Amino acid sequence: MGDGPPAAHRPRRPWFWLVLAGLGLLAFVSPAFGPTPIPDVLVFRILAHELTRGALFPNACGSGIVAARCATYVLIVWQLRLPAILLAIGVGAALGLSGGTLQGVFRNPLADPYLLGISSGGTLGAVVVFVLYFGSREITGELPLFAFLGSVATGLVILAIAWSRAGSVETLLLAGVALSSLLSAIVAYLLLFNQQGSQQVYDWLLGSVSFATWTQIGIVFAVLLGASFFTILHARELNLLQLGHEVAQSAGVDARAIRIRLILLASVTTAIAVAFAGIIGFVGLVSPHVVRRLVSSDYRVVLAGSLVVGAAFLLVAWDVDLFFSELPIGIFTSLAGVPFFLYILFRQSRRSTMGGA
Amino acid sequence: MASADVPPLSVRGVSVRFGDRSALTDASLEVAPGEFVALAGPNGSGKTTLLRAALGFVAPATGTIDLLGRSVQELRPLDRARRVAWVPQEEPARDDVPLRDYVLYGRYAHRGMLEGDSADDRRLALRLLEEVGLADRASDGVLSVSGGERQRAILARALAQEAPLLLLDEPTTHLDIAHQLDLLGRVRALAREQGTAIVAALHDLNLAARFADRIVVLSRGRVVANGPPRDVISRELLGRVWGVAAELRSDPRTGVPVLIPYPLPTEPPGVAASAGCVHVVGGGGAAGPYLRALAEAGYRLSAGALHLFDSDLETAEGLGIPVAEEVPFAPLGPEARERNRQLLEAAAAIVVAPFAVGPSNLANLEDVRPFAGRVPLWLASSPPIERRDFTGGAAARIYGELLGSGAREVASPADLLDGLGSLLRAERPARSPAAPRPPDAG
Repeated sequence: MGDGPPAAHRPRRPWFWLVLAGLGLLAFVSPAFGPTPIPDVLVFRILAHELTRGALFPNACGSGIVAARCATYVLIVWQLRLPAILLAIGVGAALGLSGGTLQGVFRNPLADPYLLGISSGGTLGAVVVFVLYFGSREITGELPLFAFLGSVATGLVILAIAWSRAGSVETLLLAGVALSSLLSAIVAYLLLFNQQGSQQVYDWLLGSVSFATWTQIGIVFAVLLGASFFTILHARELNLLQLGHEVAQSAGVDARAIRIRLILLASVTTAIAVAFAGIIGFVGLVSPHVVRRLVSSDYRVVLAGSLVVGAAFLLVAWDVDLFFSELPIGIFTSLAGVPFFLYILFRQSRRSTMGGA
Repeated sequence: MASADVPPLSVRGVSVRFGDRSALTDASLEVAPGEFVALAGPNGSGKTTLLRAALGFVAPATGTIDLLGRSVQELRPLDRARRVAWVPQEEPARDDVPLRDYVLYGRYAHRGMLEGDSADDRRLALRLLEEVGLADRASDGVLSVSGGERQRAILARALAQEAPLLLLDEPTTHLDIAHQLDLLGRVRALAREQGTAIVAALHDLNLAARFADRIVVLSRGRVVANGPPRDVISRELLGRVWGVAAELRSDPRTGVPVLIPYPLPTEPPGVAASAGCVHVVGGGGAAGPYLRALAEAGYRLSAGALHLFDSDLETAEGLGIPVAEEVPFAPLGPEARERNRQLLEAAAAIVVAPFAVGPSNLANLEDVRPFAGRVPLWLASSPPIERRDFTGGAAARIYGELLGSGAREVASPADLLDGLGSLLRAERPARSPAAPRPPDAG
């Protein structure tokens, strides 16, 4: 330190840590929210009991609560509420990260995780499950698998285009949008002839974290950890890619290879989110913008920030959601996210029209 | 990395095709360390293609391009970036990245994947910003600075690559004159002081001549000239490659050629060139407008008799035409009059400019008299002769006499061009005017 003034370009790190701390705090108190009234003290007691595997509070609920009721409370807190919270965090982070990545790769502020048809691929996968398995009770295992496969397959088609020499950024974007339309058409066709399944598909489309399992959470966080590590490793290349393919290349960036790698990472991350939580809109689009507008456009900051902002956004959405007796979370993200996003946009433009740099 | 005998850039027999179109044909070029080479040529002549090929953005169909002895096509982007840096003509900027970070982007090729910006890199970035005169703008965003400052920041970023070869594509296009000189001056200093090889595509030939050690001229994808500015820039080349006529001077301070371009004659060349010589009689600056207008229309000219230091004489000398001249303030002597008569004799048409006639130059009018009726003769009528006759009526009398024997009056140079043009076309009805020579022909 010492050389160079404390300039505006230094990412305002306190902001980042503040959001992160808020996220942690919220995650900690969130299990107290829910439709079943459970005394707050009991919630934290149960959490402590489970987290320490019974070391801290050998009797989870303490005396005065019958064992059967206690078992229900433990089930609700530990098997329903906490997994939903963690899935919201994981999915929010995944969507935020891939939104930030794709906006960087495509140098397009409108890019979001679903842009390349990845969501349509996932939907198709889900619809195929409903069509194939309709009537059988147990489709919880197949649904995420097929949705994931559908998303990844779509991502691979896009990658194949990117791999070919002809794949400029604009071509890729257009191909993604076209592919998305094609997949939606197939989905519409399948639903037309399988109307019984359409309500379930519709529910799935609106997105939800309510049916999370610990296995899912393990998968989501494992993928997230790997993807964020490798993506943030390429933040410097993303910075250079903002100056154009050729400028980046002249500075030493293997632009095509980086692009393919990052699209692959974003596709897998998105596919995981889609598989376990359905289509949750707006998080991936907004999170990077919030970071860019409020903190810095340096992709090292944008990527890490999108991860945290996305997680916080979806967690808040989930908590608020609970007060409205479990609206599909995807509805809330848009209902609450859009006004907030517009506020940020206008705040920014007013500042710049008022003469601030 | 740079051994003395391996050139930073060596282009041998390179052709580049885009589909059916040949963008570059058998181009060869070698650039030594510390040398500043300017690429010149009209739009679409292949300058940018040559630069892009040297950067590995386009693959040549034939030929080889070596950077420090290694083929550019075989180098990984990282190794390429250590051998060549690029200043693009324009660069999209969306994010308001602070200039110091922006310059640090240039360090990409010198840094490991997990390394952050080292203290050395940050010091280098600040030093480079200082070198391009932006030390106090280091914290400002690249979108908040002016176009000239951004261009200099781009230069600083390219310099941060510390490559032995720097390619610039029209780096001065968006800069005002002061910043053009400034930027190219810095680039040249870089070549001189650090031995960096420079190749810059430059539209402005005067800038190219002033700063470059060597000018390589491209025309239709071929290298048509390659040498020091003094040897390369000629009127013939300018006409052949750019399709312009130009006056060439020598910069009194630097001795390099300075050119003042004009469009090629608009009058059909068949008419103006075949017209023979037009002799303009003038003095005191009156002949200047007529001489310039006729020269620009493509007529061959002569002038006389003019006194030394007369601005008409300067104009005539600038145009490089034959003149009859006399020492200042003296009456026109026999030598000057004899020379003037020779030129009049050789002329296919004579123009008398609206000069002030006094005893010292009345001879100019008298010498025209024998030609009245023999060749087309035009007398300038504005201002009228009475107002510039300081000979007590002698000049006005000669004017009257000339008009009596077939001379025509003209009010302005434009008037004269109309008159000459229609006269010549009327004389050669059969000969269709040749199309103006297209730029780049031959």
